[in-house]
Amino acid sequence: MWTRKASFTFTGGIALILIGMMITNNQMMILGLTLITFIVVNSWVSGHGDIEVQRTLSADNLYKGDDLYVELLVTNRSNRRTQLLDVYDNIPHEMKLRSGLNQMRLNLRPGESARIRYVLRCPLRGHYSIGPVSLRVRNTFNLGVEDMYVDHHSDIVIFPQIKEVEEAFLRSRTPKMYTGATTLRTPGQGSEFYSLREYVPGDPFKNINWKAFARTGDLMVNEKCRDAVTDLYILLDSRDVARIGTVLKNPLEMGTVSAASLAAFFLKRRDSVALGIYGDGLAYLPPDTGDKQYFKILSSLAGVKPEGSMPLQAVTNSLSGRFSRGSPVFVISSCEGDGTVPAAVRDLVGRGHEVTVLSPSSIDFERLVSRIPRMSYEVLKLERQNRLTTLAGSGAQVIDWMPDMDLSQAIMQVRGY
Amino acid sequence: MAAERTRNIKRIGLQFAFWAVLGILLLTILQNFINISQTDQLSAYDDGWDDMSAFREDIKAMGVETKSLVSSPLLLADIEDPRNTTFIIAGVERDTLSFPQFDEDGFITIATEDGYSPSEVDAIVEFVDNGGTVIVLEDFGYAGSIGEAYGVRYSGYQLYDTNYVSELDYNYIWMCVQASPCGMNGTELDPATIEEHERWSSDVGEHPCAQFDGQSMTRSEAGVCSHHWVKSAGDLGRIEYNATYTMLLNNVTGLEIVPGVRGALKDVNVRAITSNQATVDVNGDGELWVSNEQTSETPDLWGQFNLSIEACASSSCDPEEGGRVFFVADGSALINAIYDYEGFNAGEYGKTDKFIPANDNRKWALDVIAESLMSTLEGEEGQPAENAMVSFDESRHPQNAILADSYNTVYFLLVYFTGEGLAMLALFVVLFITFEAVLLKKRDPEPWRHVFSIIYYGFGDANRYTYYAKTEKIRQVFLSKVRNQNGLTVEEFHAMSAKELVGLIQDPVLAKFAIEPGKYSLEQSVALVKRIKAWGRR
Repeated sequence: MWTRKASFTFTGGIALILIGMMITNNQMMILGLTLITFIVVNSWVSGHGDIEVQRTLSADNLYKGDDLYVELLVTNRSNRRTQLLDVYDNIPHEMKLRSGLNQMRLNLRPGESARIRYVLRCPLRGHYSIGPVSLRVRNTFNLGVEDMYVDHHSDIVIFPQIKEVEEAFLRSRTPKMYTGATTLRTPGQGSEFYSLREYVPGDPFKNINWKAFARTGDLMVNEKCRDAVTDLYILLDSRDVARIGTVLKNPLEMGTVSAASLAAFFLKRRDSVALGIYGDGLAYLPPDTGDKQYFKILSSLAGVKPEGSMPLQAVTNSLSGRFSRGSPVFVISSCEGDGTVPAAVRDLVGRGHEVTVLSPSSIDFERLVSRIPRMSYEVLKLERQNRLTTLAGSGAQVIDWMPDMDLSQAIMQVRGY
Repeated sequence: MAAERTRNIKRIGLQFAFWAVLGILLLTILQNFINISQTDQLSAYDDGWDDMSAFREDIKAMGVETKSLVSSPLLLADIEDPRNTTFIIAGVERDTLSFPQFDEDGFITIATEDGYSPSEVDAIVEFVDNGGTVIVLEDFGYAGSIGEAYGVRYSGYQLYDTNYVSELDYNYIWMCVQASPCGMNGTELDPATIEEHERWSSDVGEHPCAQFDGQSMTRSEAGVCSHHWVKSAGDLGRIEYNATYTMLLNNVTGLEIVPGVRGALKDVNVRAITSNQATVDVNGDGELWVSNEQTSETPDLWGQFNLSIEACASSSCDPEEGGRVFFVADGSALINAIYDYEGFNAGEYGKTDKFIPANDNRKWALDVIAESLMSTLEGEEGQPAENAMVSFDESRHPQNAILADSYNTVYFLLVYFTGEGLAMLALFVVLFITFEAVLLKKRDPEPWRHVFSIIYYGFGDANRYTYYAKTEKIRQVFLSKVRNQNGLTVEEFHAMSAKELVGLIQDPVLAKFAIEPGKYSLEQSVALVKRIKAWGRR
């Protein structure tokens, strides 16, 4: 593509030739021809974008607010100089450039390499992709510009932040709950021996009981008892209404932080944690323990978007059959615009679940972005209190979570309304 | 979404229609310019039987430079030495197109073109005024505008004469370049009727080549008169000049001197005429019906018609005294088949069963060239002048290849737009607009910059704010609070009497608000909400 300078030079050249012809002025025509020739010759001396790029990230997964260190190695793999070559690493708008620059103007000799280093801050959770690498080749006098790109991407997942949750805060009216790891007499991941069984393909070799093999001649593996206090279910509301507030402070963001923190807390105690995310539909992660489950939960939470309007009752109707008896259920929802919440909670409580409703105060989030008249605000708050009171009356523990309140602070105020 | 799609479709449709109309208009205009011909004839640079390569080769052999004008005669203005240049127009096969232009009074006039635009005719006239020589060989084409400039008109009707070549057909007629008509003796021209050229006869003023008549010299010494050179011994030869010209023409028309019209040159003379029994097929039906009077039954004309006219700046037609224009009523007078009849008959231009009789077309044409371009410097007699040049007008010959014709057209437009008044103005405006367009529209690619942008808000429903300020809504919220506070179901609450409700509320103001619907001012509502908020805490 011609630059503005080139267009002017060309138009000027043509104009000089034509006007020179009009007034029979040879000097003018020669000047015009010189300009045109200059452009033509200049177009022969152009660079190229035949380069190889390699991007190195300090991590593939980060927590919201962490810094990401990026290094881009650019190598000229052609036998010619690149001439003036702008290299620009495309980074998502949601990431903030903390130090360094994600672009550089290079003039690489054949085989020569250059490194571009920069640091990104990732203030928003989500699945992101860094790349492609944009290239802009300029010819010698900046008369021609050609844009191209190298289709090189690096994917990165930004997990929600994990907040510290004090064990003491998570009290229950049921003394047996949350008292530490105990062994369940069911096979699963654990440390204690449960039984011997025949080897099936896929069993790890370390579980093979060699003594039993020597004795019986058949491959036998040790099965372990499942270590867990209990199964814990977290239901996260990601309906469209959960977007109310600023991009950094809204019910969904606070919900993902709390879900991740609770999951981290309980998984650390070797409990099984299940996650249900409802909004446009229902995404359910069955209960499991360990780092893998932790990663799965964080990955799911990283990709949550506010959309849809699925009621909680539909979720509980669908999932309650799969919930372990008596297991605690955390419902993280602003309870806004869903009339089925009391019935759903009542249903769960009726099934013997310890239900905790962690409810970000959507009215107060809305107040961050909208000027709500004072009286309307008070009435809306009264209505919300009524709603939470109803939930508490249904037997749930209700937490009214204000925007400026820390998660541990919020959990501390667990009370029956 | 659907409305946007419809709008998009309409927009695309409109754009398509705009470009289609523009394309059709352009094609229509181009059609006028690019006119692919099935035949490629009368070109000095092709060697077909109907081209004029032999003539050009002869000129080159004389030591005279030959060039072609493929764009427009407007370029004649750039010729440095018009006096020693001869411009040859052989067959104006297509019309031209031109803008309206300014006349001498400064008004814009719209010209009806006939082969050449007014500016082109002006350029030719100026060329002749500066001493140039022009030969116009034309019959039924578009040379009218040039003729008009000199008070000459091409009749455009097919002419037949009794002086025709019987072994060919009646389309081939003899033109004797002399004051009185020549005649036939049987099927041959009667030598007794053949006279010398009116201007080049020894009585009036000899042709420049006549001064070498009978002299012995080499062919190269003969220079521009070498076509009169006859080999005698070794390299030597002898100049044999005579001033009789019996030219062979094919499919001719008549020429007229327009009465009462004063052309650009003051001396206009008829140089060749038909016999007295020539006829003109006025209605073009191929039949000749003539009488003493032209009627609908006898629409054709008979009598004596002009075949060649010469317009000169002076009565002597001396090139030193000004330019000349030769009009001949046949566009094909110098084609290879007639000009180089020996070669044609020998099959050099393709096999033929038609034999062209000997003629003086070559002699006439080269004598015109010799007279125009012979050096006038002492010691250079017979040699071409230093800047001697013959230029062939190829701009009005349609090409049979689209690229060649497009090239000619583009070249024509270039010359036209840089050479003619209003076209130059139009070009200037176009250049100005182009500059403006580049200035306004052309943008360099934006520099890359990372923009950190997470400005995004989710708004609530602002419409509900007024609803939540209404008394009924406040009452509803309050009653829900009362019900919740007392752990009642909806059914139980609805089954309560008013008295029981008042008993539950235990606040006369709120009890009245709950039971008696009424209008409340804003201040009262605010006070009520505060009271409701505080209620139940005690």
